[in-house]
Amino acid sequence: MRISRRRLLSGSAIIATGTRFAIILPVFGSRDATAISSNEAVDLLSWVEIKPDNSAVIRIPQTDIGQGINTTLAQIIAEEMDLDWARVSTKAYDPRVNAERQNPYIWTTTLGSSSAHYLYEPVRLAAATIKKKLISAAALQLKVAPEHLHADQGHVVHAKTGRRIPFSKVAASAAELQLSEQFPVEYKPVAQRRLIGSSVPALELKAMTAGEKRFGIDIDVPGMRFAAISQSPVYGAKLLKVEMEGIRKLSGNPSVVRVSGKTIGFNSPVPEGEDPDLWAAEVRCDDAIAVVADTWWQAKTVLEGLDITWSSSKHRALSSEKMFVEFAQRVNSVLPKSGGQGNFERAMSRADQKLSALYSYPYVEAAPLEPMNCTALVDDNGVQLWTNSQFPDDAWRIAFETAGVDPNDVTLHLMAAGGGFGRRLHNDIVYQAIQIACQHRGIPIKLLATREESMKHSYYSPLTVAKFDAAVGSDGTVDGWRCRVASSFAPDQSYGATRLPFVVPNTHFEYERHMSVPVPFGWVRGVGFAQHLWMNFSFLDEIRLAIGADAIGFFRAHLDPSRIPKDVDEYDLAVDRALRTRRVLDYCVEKGGWSNEKPPGVGRGICASDSDYYPGFGSSTKAAMVDIVLDKKGSLTVNRVFIAIDAGTVINPDIVKAQLEGGVAFALSTALYSEISVKNGSVEQSNFHDYPVLRMKKMPRVEVAMIPSDSTPLGVGEDAVPITIAALVNAIVDAGGPRIRRLPISREIRLEDS
Amino acid sequence: MVVCEINGESKSVEADGATPLLWILRDELGLKGTKFGCGAGLCGACTVHVDGLAVRSCITPLISVSGKKVTTIEGIDNSGEHPLQRHWINSRVPQCGYCQSGMIMAAAALLGSVKSPSEAQVREEITNLCRCGTYNRIVEAVQAAAKDMSVE
Repeated sequence: MRISRRRLLSGSAIIATGTRFAIILPVFGSRDATAISSNEAVDLLSWVEIKPDNSAVIRIPQTDIGQGINTTLAQIIAEEMDLDWARVSTKAYDPRVNAERQNPYIWTTTLGSSSAHYLYEPVRLAAATIKKKLISAAALQLKVAPEHLHADQGHVVHAKTGRRIPFSKVAASAAELQLSEQFPVEYKPVAQRRLIGSSVPALELKAMTAGEKRFGIDIDVPGMRFAAISQSPVYGAKLLKVEMEGIRKLSGNPSVVRVSGKTIGFNSPVPEGEDPDLWAAEVRCDDAIAVVADTWWQAKTVLEGLDITWSSSKHRALSSEKMFVEFAQRVNSVLPKSGGQGNFERAMSRADQKLSALYSYPYVEAAPLEPMNCTALVDDNGVQLWTNSQFPDDAWRIAFETAGVDPNDVTLHLMAAGGGFGRRLHNDIVYQAIQIACQHRGIPIKLLATREESMKHSYYSPLTVAKFDAAVGSDGTVDGWRCRVASSFAPDQSYGATRLPFVVPNTHFEYERHMSVPVPFGWVRGVGFAQHLWMNFSFLDEIRLAIGADAIGFFRAHLDPSRIPKDVDEYDLAVDRALRTRRVLDYCVEKGGWSNEKPPGVGRGICASDSDYYPGFGSSTKAAMVDIVLDKKGSLTVNRVFIAIDAGTVINPDIVKAQLEGGVAFALSTALYSEISVKNGSVEQSNFHDYPVLRMKKMPRVEVAMIPSDSTPLGVGEDAVPITIAALVNAIVDAGGPRIRRLPISREIRLEDS
Repeated sequence: MVVCEINGESKSVEADGATPLLWILRDELGLKGTKFGCGAGLCGACTVHVDGLAVRSCITPLISVSGKKVTTIEGIDNSGEHPLQRHWINSRVPQCGYCQSGMIMAAAALLGSVKSPSEAQVREEITNLCRCGTYNRIVEAVQAAAKDMSVE
C-alpha cells in the first residue's frame, strides 16, 4: 500500500470515518526537535525517540488503563519502523507538547475503544515516514541510492555490502531531513509482518507481577503532603461552615481547605462548531471540604471528625425509586421523537400479533479498583500535575485555568491507571487537587479519595426506562417496533434505542431526558449500548417466544438485507451492517456450538451486534453465546460465555482476548449486581459490600473466536458488555427462569453469594 | 514505636499504632506494590502476609503486627521469580495490574496451606476483586505454580 506524502502534508483527514470524528492529520516533518548532537536522544516526528544506545522510546498518546495500549501502539510503530522489539520502551505523551506542536498525536482521549481504530493509520504513516527518513539519511551518509537500503531490527542495512548502521547513528541527520512531498512512503506488506498480529507479552508484564508498576496513586514527590476530601453529602448542598476549633492540636499538622464545586467542562472532546450534546456531558461537582496533613491517614481521620454544616438543597428529597416510577409513567405518553422509518402505526393496524413490555436500567458506576487521586504542585514555576486522567488534554486545561497560570507553565505527568472504564474521563479530582495545591503553594499535594467518596461522588450511566411495542406480521417477523425512552440527565444517547442491530421495516423512537436531575452522567464501559442493547434483544426474544420461532432462524430473518427499506439513510451501510452481523452470528453459532446438546437445567442465549453509534462508526461486530444453569432452588450460575468477533486487523490477539474476558466480567457484574440508588438526595452505596462486583467464584469459562481480517482495526473493549448481558437474560428464560426486564438480576433471582 | 520484621528486615516504625499497616508500608516504607482499593477489607488489593497468613493490610492496625513478620509483594521472592510470578507472566494474567500484587499474595498464602488446590478451591478461597476480569487466568496460573512447587 502506498500513501502519498502530499496527502499527509496537505493535512487531509485520512482517518475521518463517518461524520462525527473528523480528525485532521497535522503536518509532520516541520516539527522535529533539532538534535544538538548524536550524544542525545533524537526526537523523530514527536512519536519516537532514538537513544544513543540505539534503544527506542515510543510516545503513547493514550492513558494506560489496562487495555494494553502501550504494547499495541508500540507494536504498530516497531513493525513499520523495523525496530528491535527487545529494545523498545514507551513513555506517555505530554499534553503541552501536543498543543505546542499542533496535535501530532491525533487522538489523545482514552474513550470509546477507539485508540487502535483512530491511531492505526496515522501511527503507521508516522512510523513509515520515520523509517524513510532514517534510510534517506543513511543513503546520504553511505553515498548509495536509498533503494539499495532497507531497515532491519533497528538498523539500516546495505544488502550488497552487508553494512549495518544503527538508527542512532543516522537519527540526528534524519530528524533534519525534509522529505519531498512527492516521496511516497511504503507500508510493510501484511505477509512480512512480525509484530502486528502477534501476541507479544504486554511490556509491563513483569513489573505488574513484581509490584513495580507505578500508578497515579503511587507517585512520590519530595516534600509531598496528603489530602483527603469530602463532597457535599446531598446533591447541590453548599458548604456553610466548618468548625475549626481544636484542629491544630490534632496530629499531622492538619489544615482545612474549602474546595468549590462547579461545572468544570465536558467529559470528552467536543470538536469546534459541533453540538456538545452529541459528544459529551457536562462534568459537575459540588462543594467539598478537604484536609491536608502529613500523612493521608491523618488527613482522612481529621476529615471524618470535622463538624461541617451544609446548606439545605432543593434535591434533598431526590429518590431514584421515585424517578423510576415517574419515568415508567412518562413512557406511556407521547415523548419527543428521536428517529424511525416507515410507518409504525400502519404496521400496528395490520399486525397478526402485538406485544408490549417495560424495561429499565439503573444508575451504574464504573468503580475502577484504584480510587480517584491526583497529585499537584503549584509554585512560582507554574503547575506540575500527576494524573491518570483518561482525558489529559482537558486535565491540562483545568490546571492552567484553575491556577491562573500560562498554559506553557503546566507540566502534566500522565500516569498509569488501576482501571478506568470511563470514570477517569471526568476530571473532577484534577479540579479539586489544583484548588487544594493553590492554597498550599510550593508543597506537592497528593489528593486521594476514599472508596466511599469515589463511589458516592462518581459519574453514572443514566437511569433509563424504555417502553417497547411491537407488531408481528403474518410472515412471523417484526413489522413494526416502537421504543419510548425516559432517562436521567445524559448527553444524547438516543442511538442506543434507534440503532437497532437487526432489521425492522417500520420503527418509531421517542426519547426524553430529565436534564434537571442532578445525578451526574458518566461514560461507563459499554456506553449507551449498555442500557439499551440487552433490552432490544430481550424484547426481540420475547416476540420470538410468543410466536414460537427457532432462535437462530428468527434472528437471521431479522438480518436479511432484503427487508431493509430502500429509502433509509445510508442504505448501503445498513445492508453491509446486516450482512456483517449475520456473518458473525453464524460464526458464533458454528464455532461456539449453539446446536450442541444442553445438559438438563442449562439455558442458552445468543446476541450479535456492533456498537456503531452512527452508520459507519467502525466498532467491531461481536456475538455472544451464554450458557447458564438455574438449579432447583432457582439459583443462577453462568457456566460459559463464547464470543465471536470481527475486529478487523488484530494487532495483539491475546490482548483482544483479555479485553473480551474483561468485558464479560464487567457485563456480569453489571447484570447481576450493579445498582446505584439515590435516596434523600444522596447515593446510597458506598463500597463493595453494597455495590458488589463479580468475584472469581462466579467467573464463567470464556472462549473467543476471531474472524480473520486485514481491514482497519476496530474497537474491542466495550461491546462485550452489552451483548453478554443480552445473551444472559435470554439464557435465563431458556432455562425456565423469569424474563428479566429490570436490572440488576439480583432483584429477581437468587445468586448464592455476592 | 512499633517494631516488626518487614520482608526480612527489622523495622522500627514511629507512627500511631492504630494506623492501618497499608499506609505504613506504602507511605512510610515506600513499598508501593501493596495497593489501596477499598479501605474496608473487601477487595484484597492490599493483601500481605503476616507470619505467613494473608491479611488485608487496610484494616490491620500497625500495633497488631508488633513483633511479627510481614511479607509484601516486594519480599515474596528475592529474584522476583517466585513460581506464582513466573506463571502470572506465562498466563499473561494482568490487564491494568492494580489488583495483582494482592492476588499473588493471596495465592501464595493459599498454596501455603493447600499444596495443590482444585480449580473450585482456588475460586472459593481467593476472594480478592479484579475489575478487569483476569480471574480465569489467575486460576490457571495458581494451579500451574502449584504443580511446579510440588515438583521443586
